[in-house]
Amino acid sequence: MIYLDNGATSFHKPPQVRRAVLRAMDRCANPGRGGYGAAMEAAKTVLRCRERAGVLFDCEPEQVVLTSNCTHGLNIAIRTLVKPGSRVVISGFEHNAVTRPLYGLGARVTVAGRKLFDWEDTLSEFEKALKAGAEAAVFTHVSNVFGYILPVEEMAALCRQRGIPFIVDAAQSAGALPVSLKKLGADFIAMPGHKGLLGPQGTGLLLCGKLPEPLLLGGTGSESVRQDMPDFTPDRAEAGTLNVPGIAGLEAGMAWLQRMGIERIGKRERQVAEKCAGELKNMGMQVYWGPHQGGTVSFRPGCDCEEGARMLAEQGIAVRAGLHCAPLAHESAGTLDTGTVRISFGHDADFSRIPVLLRAVSKLPVPEL
Amino acid sequence: MMNVYYLTFRSVTPAQRGENLLRKMGFRCVLQRTPRWMEEKGCGYCLRLPTDRIREAAGVLQRAGIPYRKVYLLNEGGDTEEISL
Repeated sequence: MIYLDNGATSFHKPPQVRRAVLRAMDRCANPGRGGYGAAMEAAKTVLRCRERAGVLFDCEPEQVVLTSNCTHGLNIAIRTLVKPGSRVVISGFEHNAVTRPLYGLGARVTVAGRKLFDWEDTLSEFEKALKAGAEAAVFTHVSNVFGYILPVEEMAALCRQRGIPFIVDAAQSAGALPVSLKKLGADFIAMPGHKGLLGPQGTGLLLCGKLPEPLLLGGTGSESVRQDMPDFTPDRAEAGTLNVPGIAGLEAGMAWLQRMGIERIGKRERQVAEKCAGELKNMGMQVYWGPHQGGTVSFRPGCDCEEGARMLAEQGIAVRAGLHCAPLAHESAGTLDTGTVRISFGHDADFSRIPVLLRAVSKLPVPEL
Repeated sequence: MMNVYYLTFRSVTPAQRGENLLRKMGFRCVLQRTPRWMEEKGCGYCLRLPTDRIREAAGVLQRAGIPYRKVYLLNEGGDTEEISL
């Protein structure tokens, strides 16, 4: 199988990740609960993960809340900043992990900037929406459908200038682009552990620039006498037993990334994606490609996208088709009715796979443009 | 004979960070659960430090932004008393 669905999760992870998971299962009890060896070994494993994340994302270990995925982190962040009726500005490329919690809370949502790959439009529309009044903003760093890298530093600066708290969804950028909590000055940055950070599924990180409101209430192994949650991170947002084997694997994934260099990996992903997009265009496919693009390419063949992905799967190519849980992004790009086939490269992006992919794609019908 | 002190922390994370930092600075210390009577809020971790440089150790933690809660001295009679630095 040629795996090109890294936007969903990374696969063929470095062997160190698997080894770390197994080691933790053999050696770790519950962290932060006991004082015996296996409990302390678990606590050390968890602290290593927080410290590694702190180095990679420019924050203190205590600011790193361990979550079960990016959606979990986004829900904590959104519930902290947004109340029913709050006016919230989002980009036109948000995932349901952002929009569903917002609509579920009864927020008044303004979608700003819907032109794909157009930083000028994204920024001017975003600024206009902030000026019209907002109590919070949430925006993705990279569109999970089209690989569009949004101008998050500028968007963050616009929020900071107006004192508007904001959340960054780094689901597709963590592990491929630099992300700094300090530099962005974000209230929260949420990211999965199992995509670009190469950890196991069931892991994620929420970087906290402010005190989060807990989504789950319960035991934390600290201040057990009080009946409200501790008023400090990470404990406040980490009720219940942590996924220690997953966290151990995530730490090993991040250590691997740190050795290889996130910028180097991200650059290679983008180069391979660009080559792939060019070849798909030459074949006559409708390709969504532009400036400010990451390691993901969406295209439309001349058949139903799901059918196209099924045909590719039969030839050993793993890609994702449909709406990718981001109907808003498809609406912005005009592909809501059709969806797209998404090719997303990861840490193992390799030019040598492109000819094999193209041979498989060449069997799909070409759209009439 | 060196004095023995206990520095208490609100949870395991700052206690671990404190342990790592103090060891780097040459202090011998052991991370352990806080005795129940030392922690009125219940459940926490502490560092047991045999040292004559407790003020220096506390300063190291303060400068690194690692908050400790209380300091206890284990006196020669085997009793433990809270002290202020």
